[in-house]
Amino acid sequence: MSVIKEWVFTTDHKRVGILYLIGSVAAFVVAGIMALLMRAELSAIGPTLTANPTTYNVWLYAHGAIMILGFQIPALTGFAANYCIPLMIGAKDVAFPRLNAFSVWLFYMGVILALLTFVIPDPPDVLWTGYPPYSTITTGNTALYTFTVLLIGFASIIAGVNFLTTIAYMRAQGMTWNKLNFFVWSIIGSFVMQLIYVPVLGTAVLLISFDKYLGTNFFDPTIGGDVLTYQNLFWFYSHPAVYVIFLPFIGILMEILATFAKNPVFNYKVAVYGGCWGIVIISGEVWIHHLYVSGMPDWLRIGQMVTTLLISVPVGLITISMVGTLYKGSITFETPMLYGLGTLVLFLIGGLTGIPLAVTSLTVNLSETYYVVGHFHYVMAVAGTMAIFAGVYYWFPKMTGKMYSELWGKIGFWFTFVGANVIFWTMMDVGVRTGLPRRYYDFAAFPQVANEQYIMSVGAIIIAIGFTITLLNWIIGAARGPKASDNPWGSMSLEWTTVSPPPHGNWPKPPVVAEDWNPYAYTKR
Amino acid sequence: MAAHESAHHEGHDAWGTSIWPFVISFGVLALTLSFTFHFVYHSTFTAVIALGLGIPLILGGIAGWVSEAMGEGEGFSFTSMAWFILAEAMIFVSCFVGYWFSRLEAPFWPPEGSVALPKVLPLVMTVALVVSSLTIHRAEHFLHEGNRDGFVKWLLLTILLGLAFLGMSAYEWNHLIHENFTVKTNIFGTFFYSITGLHGSHVIVGLAIFIAGLLPAMKGNLSVGFWRTAGLYWHFVDIIWFFVVSQVYFW
Repeated sequence: MSVIKEWVFTTDHKRVGILYLIGSVAAFVVAGIMALLMRAELSAIGPTLTANPTTYNVWLYAHGAIMILGFQIPALTGFAANYCIPLMIGAKDVAFPRLNAFSVWLFYMGVILALLTFVIPDPPDVLWTGYPPYSTITTGNTALYTFTVLLIGFASIIAGVNFLTTIAYMRAQGMTWNKLNFFVWSIIGSFVMQLIYVPVLGTAVLLISFDKYLGTNFFDPTIGGDVLTYQNLFWFYSHPAVYVIFLPFIGILMEILATFAKNPVFNYKVAVYGGCWGIVIISGEVWIHHLYVSGMPDWLRIGQMVTTLLISVPVGLITISMVGTLYKGSITFETPMLYGLGTLVLFLIGGLTGIPLAVTSLTVNLSETYYVVGHFHYVMAVAGTMAIFAGVYYWFPKMTGKMYSELWGKIGFWFTFVGANVIFWTMMDVGVRTGLPRRYYDFAAFPQVANEQYIMSVGAIIIAIGFTITLLNWIIGAARGPKASDNPWGSMSLEWTTVSPPPHGNWPKPPVVAEDWNPYAYTKR
Repeated sequence: MAAHESAHHEGHDAWGTSIWPFVISFGVLALTLSFTFHFVYHSTFTAVIALGLGIPLILGGIAGWVSEAMGEGEGFSFTSMAWFILAEAMIFVSCFVGYWFSRLEAPFWPPEGSVALPKVLPLVMTVALVVSSLTIHRAEHFLHEGNRDGFVKWLLLTILLGLAFLGMSAYEWNHLIHENFTVKTNIFGTFFYSITGLHGSHVIVGLAIFIAGLLPAMKGNLSVGFWRTAGLYWHFVDIIWFFVVSQVYFW
């Protein structure tokens, strides 16, 4: 009983982090099953699982909304930040432990609301974007969508407040700003963006429920409202949301690359102040590229094309740092590193295929095709997910004090990596060659893509096998893996100086950071 | 209460726990379900049950939380509130931007069906809110001097002014609704009620923070950090009102 109490009512940042991980992985499994259902439906022309397009729309809604709101953002800014930030900066906990517990439980309530989709009559069918006028006239339950976003959004706002304060005030003695791990910087950037942009999303989704249920006219053009207001508000958050996911995942990668290449982070200050902060600053001025074909004045469209292309500069700076960190390193290929390198490859493919979409003249033809789906799944979906997996594997010995199976870890990786490329490369290829429109539940008008659709569905099964192996590997490893040492990777970073798993309070005495210490102080070769 | 055992004891080996965040989250869930039952499934009975569960959970949770944790996180809360206000401000920014777009795109303004807004009442409301900002400042001054009675007196005055503001707002809404100017009338009605309602809800939250701290304060549990932070939020609510009054009433 007391064990349950100590977990459910916990205010300890490590346990809150693990609760975040459990909740987000559960959400990931559900949303993944939605993806499999959709792939099964699309594996052949004509109805395969359902003849009802609305059912397909509900799957599509659940897949998108739960993956982004229930899995990626909470796994990165919830789990990874919660578990690692206090350990990396040498604090005994976060600034407001109760607020932290409130954040994780609000997130769970949001996930519960999202899961209600599968048991209530008239579930939401508004995709994860909730565009009016459809969302305000559908018979589906738009309110559920609104509240899911609001609860999880509010959870991330209070987490943001908490962590920015923690990092500002609770660093160990001697831990100056330039000695912070790159991951800590990426979380700072990520939470600053959350604080600025999440409220705008919250407002947008609240207003569609007002329109639908309280009779307001925000998005009703017949009485003076404007549909584009919603699209602007929504993407004003939801494009930066990509960077909210991107920054922590690149932060995790940087930690892993430095540890397994035994090299200091290359160009640390450029990556932090140019890369990380560059992204934060430009992130708010690019959202129009989601609205290129929705009707925009040219000055706005071309202006935001420039800013969209400009954001490749900070991203490029970070990429140079990552590659430079690998250069002349003594690299070993344990599972976290394998995932790290795999993520780097997927992220490069995804990033480079984004450039045509940024260019207004090309995007007119590519917009709303499978090419777009392939592109953002490369960057966000698989690169993001694999970075999360890399992080879980990397900190697994710290969290559990035990070791997972290297062999199964690697097998899981190769299934995931191969499956991801089979699906999403085919998707981009189909999009460019045939212009196959996204979001359709059947493709009778495009019989020439039947083979490719089938191949993608096979890819989905491959990737599902990979994920299953990975999840089982964690569960079995946590239950009865061999004991791990306190610092199995030989990392210099502060979180590895305490015992595994760390006790409440993290260190018996608050750590003090020496003048010449830094988290990447590997001897130069 | 389970939570009291481990609170306040920093540094010993037990894992920190608190039941209140958990309780409040369920209250919030119940509130969202209540809205859904009523507006989506038109089942008022279940909606009332959910509401009856949610509100006590939230109020009880806040009371428990405040009495358990008053004064913890002392040196941090002011900065955190500044971060939180950044997020809050963005809510108002999105509403005002939507309002400006709709207004500037409109062929003529005010749109058909609008009524003339009162001019004197918003000025009185402005005065009430500005004075309340000064009184809470005065109350904090007494707090720093360690004068508890003076502090409580000026705090109560602040709360009264806030309530007066809400009362006037309610009177005005009631008056306008009787003139058939509602959220459904036109886009101005939509934005008028949303923006003033959004601001009003922040006044309510501000008052709720004051009242949540008032009971511990009367028992002598005074936390300077708590009141500085609460005061900061109140000043923010005050400043936002200038935008509301200038953009909605006098433009």
